[in-house]
Amino acid sequence: MQSVSRRTFLRAGAALSGGIISAGMPLSQVIWAAEGKVLEVRSSGDLVTLDPAFLGQAAEVDLTNCIYSKLTRYKPGTEWGWELEAADKIEQVDPTHIRFRLKKGIKFSGDYGELTAKDVKFSFERVIKLNSPIKPQWGSLNHVEVEDDYSGVIVFNAPFAAVWLVPLPYAVGQIVSEAAVRKATKDGGNFGVKPPAFSGPYVLADWKPNQYALLTRNPDWSGPKPGFDEIRILPIPDAKAAERAYQAGDVDFTVVGLDSLAAFKSNPPANTEIAERASTRYTWIGMNMDHPKLKDINVRRAIQWAINVPQVLDTAYDGQSIAATGIIPPGIVGHRAKTLVPPEGDLSKAKELLEKAGVNGLTLSLDCTNDSQTSAIAQTVQAQLSQVGISLVVNARDPGTFWSLGVESEGDSWKDVQLFIMTFSGLPDPYDYVTWFVQDQVGIWNWQRFRSQRFDELNAKGLSINDPNERAKVYEDMQDLMEDSGAFRFLTNETNPILYRKTRMKAAMRPDGTPLYIDFQPA
Amino acid sequence: MWIYLLKRVFLAVAITVIAVTLVFMMIHAVPGDPAVALLGPRATPEMIAHLHREMGLDKPLAVQIVIFFEGLLQGNLGFDVLSQRPVADIIFEQLPYTIELIFVSILWAVAIAVPLGCYSAMRRNSVIDQIVAIMAVATIAIPSFVMAVYALLIFAVTLHWLPAVGAGQGFLDGLVHLILPAFAVGIGWVGYISRLVRASMMEILGENHVRMARSFGISEWRIVLHYALPLAILPTVTILGVGIAWLLSSAVFIEVVFARPGIGALIVQAVNTRNYAVVIGAVLVTTVVTVLATTASDLIAASLDPRTREKL
Repeated sequence: MQSVSRRTFLRAGAALSGGIISAGMPLSQVIWAAEGKVLEVRSSGDLVTLDPAFLGQAAEVDLTNCIYSKLTRYKPGTEWGWELEAADKIEQVDPTHIRFRLKKGIKFSGDYGELTAKDVKFSFERVIKLNSPIKPQWGSLNHVEVEDDYSGVIVFNAPFAAVWLVPLPYAVGQIVSEAAVRKATKDGGNFGVKPPAFSGPYVLADWKPNQYALLTRNPDWSGPKPGFDEIRILPIPDAKAAERAYQAGDVDFTVVGLDSLAAFKSNPPANTEIAERASTRYTWIGMNMDHPKLKDINVRRAIQWAINVPQVLDTAYDGQSIAATGIIPPGIVGHRAKTLVPPEGDLSKAKELLEKAGVNGLTLSLDCTNDSQTSAIAQTVQAQLSQVGISLVVNARDPGTFWSLGVESEGDSWKDVQLFIMTFSGLPDPYDYVTWFVQDQVGIWNWQRFRSQRFDELNAKGLSINDPNERAKVYEDMQDLMEDSGAFRFLTNETNPILYRKTRMKAAMRPDGTPLYIDFQPA
Repeated sequence: MWIYLLKRVFLAVAITVIAVTLVFMMIHAVPGDPAVALLGPRATPEMIAHLHREMGLDKPLAVQIVIFFEGLLQGNLGFDVLSQRPVADIIFEQLPYTIELIFVSILWAVAIAVPLGCYSAMRRNSVIDQIVAIMAVATIAIPSFVMAVYALLIFAVTLHWLPAVGAGQGFLDGLVHLILPAFAVGIGWVGYISRLVRASMMEILGENHVRMARSFGISEWRIVLHYALPLAILPTVTILGVGIAWLLSSAVFIEVVFARPGIGALIVQAVNTRNYAVVIGAVLVTTVVTVLATTASDLIAASLDPRTREKL
């Protein structure tokens, strides 16, 4: 029989007391008003895996940042940067070699001993060996050389400038215990949702699928003490449900929908800070250059000029998002100052281009996902194109169907794809944004079927340059090439609106608003 | 009775097999590759092919169905390759939340609707009867998810009385988290059941054996509770069995609105990601739950009414 703890007794007593409701405090909050400092936050999805070699969702990464150590980590703030975490020192020896030295005394839980260079080698190399979906984040990683217990060298086949802001401080750079993983999985494979050992400031104390994940302090942690005793993460996939949960007091930190931002700004919940951060997403309208109706560049350019981006954003985002200048968002190397085609477009120019192409009474299709925001974009574009005589048929599809449309291995649907609305999310290095549009990606993720030898060369060049200004020029040129093809109309990079209760916490976020829970402090 | 039971078991198995086979075929007919949906845009063709093999999608559909039923006979609902967990574990940790939601919703709906129905039948065309009739139609007409949103805005967001999301932790917290979802699911049933009880009660109250009881001077309340209600409740019991299936579909919306764990939310999530193993497993379990509920309601009806028993 389960014993009744003091907390359980207090919860029961508190809930039963009649004064709760009259005090205006949610019952759930009273019941959870436990001793100690508890951070209650919303995540956009539940956990599928906690193995850093297979992490795919932001919600998982936010949690695993708390339970595993990395060599480096993202700096909280409004500018992208990194700082040391498990590494005492890390340096680029030459374009393909990075030497690191670990801090001493970082322990794995469960008597798996100290975190060593062997664990670093195991953690990084297993991503490649296990052919993980996130393997591309490690670029051309070849292997890790172990020099001694605390030192090693990460060796790449080719220069990989993205290493500092993509794999090292991100999830794929999280370090697991070789001994623990081998014991749990025999072959060092995917350990799913049961971490065999922890190396971060928190441990996963409890996880109820689709309900909550509870992190508590790691008693073996020797580093700086994080601000909260417990972190309770509630998976709330629906943005509107999350907004209601915040308003009801069930969570104290959440990302909200851009379409709700204006309402929250005009009538903010009590004690709330509203933060707006540039997201790492990019949304655009793509055009299949191989489709007979879109083969003529004048038709594609006419569509570019006919789309009034600010008007689209007013409809879909309630005017709370600014027009994109390309695919690389503000704050990331390679962000362009402006587009080649002005965001407002020009209908007369569009008509001229259609005349030049000799096209009249054109009917096209636009594929998109069936969420409300994307549907609003599609409907606005439909209305805009009708002004130049283009009739647009909108096919709103569920995500599972949509994401297979342009993939050649999934059948012949790619041949019928004409216009489509895409949203990708990137990591904070320009490489992660442009690499999907090289010729090798045609029929995979390059649904525009955009082919440019120059673009491919620049993609390779961008990875071998360390100077940020020089790199920026490369990626700006690449976006010029994309736009000049007529196959892209860049819409927005969006912003991430975040609500948090300033009376409960000092939040710490990456520049894109991603929470860094271990840096949160009680107010 | 035993022959009846055997027939029902046979029927239950047949329904389950047909339902699962149909879902198997339908989900494969829908465009969209589960490997692409699960792995996302960073997957290479090799990774997609690898996942196809792991999920058994490289085999013909008929073979996949046979393998599934073979596993089922051994008590194995399959394996979710993404989370590396048995499908049964995933489903059975979500199912209790849906069952408790349905159970509590029905319980409070019946507890309110049956007395209302009885009262309305006894005082037909009175002011209260008319008010109940209007309220009943209104609550039946308003979909449960609309009710859910308004209940949430009033009691959680504005008044701060109740939590907005989740299922809580522990018995008491769980109960508090259940109030709004159960209200939203059950309110339509209050109207429906009260009308149903009223109609059958009025019919029973006009029958000869009731008139006979009245002539013996037995009080009206005693007649209603002891003579009429056991008969008038029969249609409600039968409807509740079928209603489980409706409630399961209501639960999908409610679990999304209240971010509650449960089989409905699980199915939505699994369908969107084309997680075939979880979809098939979840459909199998919900089919079994529905079949069990209808069978149970038939048996309860039989135990309440000797005439039904005789027909078995």
